[in-house]
Amino acid sequence: MATIVDIQQEKALEVKNFEFTYAGADLPSIKKLNMPIAKNAITALIGPSGCGKTTLLRSFNRIHDLYPGNKYEGEILFNDKNILSSKEDLINLRIKIGMIFQKPTAFPMSIYDNVAYGMRLQGIKNKTELSNRVEKALQDAAIWKEVKDRLKHDANGLSGGQQQRLCIARAIAVEPEVLLFDEPTSALDPISTAGIEELVVELKERVSIIIVTHNMQQAARVSDYTGFMYLGELIELGRTEEMFVSPREKLTEEYITGKFG
Amino acid sequence: MNQILDKIFAHATKFIALSVLLIVAWIFTTLFEQSLFSLQASGFDFITETLWAPNLEKFGALPAIYGSVVSTFLAMVLAVPIAIGVAIFLSELAPAKLKSPVGVSIELLAAIPSVIYGMWGLFYFVPIVRDIFGGVGISMLSAGIVLSIMILPFMAAVTRDAMNTTPDILKESAYALGGTKWDVIKDVIIPYAKAGIIGSFILALGRAIGETMAVTFVMGNVHKISTDLTQPATSIPVALANEFTEADTQIYYSSLFELSLLLLVISFTIISIAKFYFLRRKRVGA
Repeated sequence: MATIVDIQQEKALEVKNFEFTYAGADLPSIKKLNMPIAKNAITALIGPSGCGKTTLLRSFNRIHDLYPGNKYEGEILFNDKNILSSKEDLINLRIKIGMIFQKPTAFPMSIYDNVAYGMRLQGIKNKTELSNRVEKALQDAAIWKEVKDRLKHDANGLSGGQQQRLCIARAIAVEPEVLLFDEPTSALDPISTAGIEELVVELKERVSIIIVTHNMQQAARVSDYTGFMYLGELIELGRTEEMFVSPREKLTEEYITGKFG
Repeated sequence: MNQILDKIFAHATKFIALSVLLIVAWIFTTLFEQSLFSLQASGFDFITETLWAPNLEKFGALPAIYGSVVSTFLAMVLAVPIAIGVAIFLSELAPAKLKSPVGVSIELLAAIPSVIYGMWGLFYFVPIVRDIFGGVGISMLSAGIVLSIMILPFMAAVTRDAMNTTPDILKESAYALGGTKWDVIKDVIIPYAKAGIIGSFILALGRAIGETMAVTFVMGNVHKISTDLTQPATSIPVALANEFTEADTQIYYSSLFELSLLLLVISFTIISIAKFYFLRRKRVGA
């Protein structure tokens, strides 16, 4: 059984007896996992490659559904509803639970259109509303100053770090409740990484954040809670400041002290 | 010793590479030399005159140019939307079970020799065109449709390949913002693959405009400009294929060479444009 710290505050998500099996696989990649995710906090998921942390993250917005044959079991509760239900409106779900990927994924269009894209998908056509919200999102993503004079330029002309902040602006423009970060800085240099980390911390006032990272220092720097996963199971979920100092599970200790990984 | 071998190897490959250029230059000069007589005799009239009457020694290539342009245009208008549809289906919508068999059979279709399209067109397709649209069947319309069927598999296969180069993570980002399949196809995949798609269209266009066998069977080689698509017509390659054996005078012979020179220039231009697009795509990718 996993050691799970008691989360006092409200919960954004609640994972219950969750199992995930990839198409064609005999065994589940995630086994009977239970995990609360605190609201307006940052939860980091750490663990060695193949432990299932990215698989778990990609279940929260059901992006796995793009590929046929993947199977979910158990429940993930979001606003008291099981998002794994076959009746779940995936488009609505993905508006409320946004995602940032390992590499910047600017669309082949202008900077402005990139940020406006999610809003336009929702049918927002009003030009003033769009441009106000685009500006706000770019400001919140701390990139407005750099791009305000070239909003009509191709987004692919930006640097990697700028593109990643653009992607964050694009994600927060639709005002999600939860943001999923899948190793958001793995393709970035240290300075851009620091910028993104700072931004992630600022964002938690408005959204609940789950971040998958390979980098334990990053988890220690940004997160409030840390979940350590191993072989498809959650071994320990604790307050970050406690877990990195005095982990309760032996496996966690071995991992964070670098004995394996 | 090894250095000498390296040098010999470098020179040998250089020679082979240059020989390709030499052959192209050779073809160009031959065509030009042979057309010289006609170029001097007809001058600019060659591409503006509509009368092609070898017995009167009148050589106006406009009907053949017109036929090449119109049949190719028809073929593109018919083939482009279908090719895009097939490519979208194969790259984004088809279930895995269908993807590979349909994909492979389309690649096989692209390998059918054009003479077979011509024969099939003449015996089985021309009568259908005649029954539906009237006329004699052998016509500009038949040529356009047969051409479109011929270039379709190539266009669909290359367009699909271009769409498949869209990184999964880019598509997932659009889905993650609440996009539907259609949103992702039209806003992400097609814009991302645009250069490759346009490149494939231009290559197909180049192939259609130079195509000889498939259209020779179904076009009729009549040097007349008609806006009625059900009437027989001709194109540059069709005229060349039909008439070289009959070219009994020097001016006739030379005029046919000028026609082929014209075709070569048109094809070169089209391929250069296609290259430009492909190169641009590579730069964007890098």
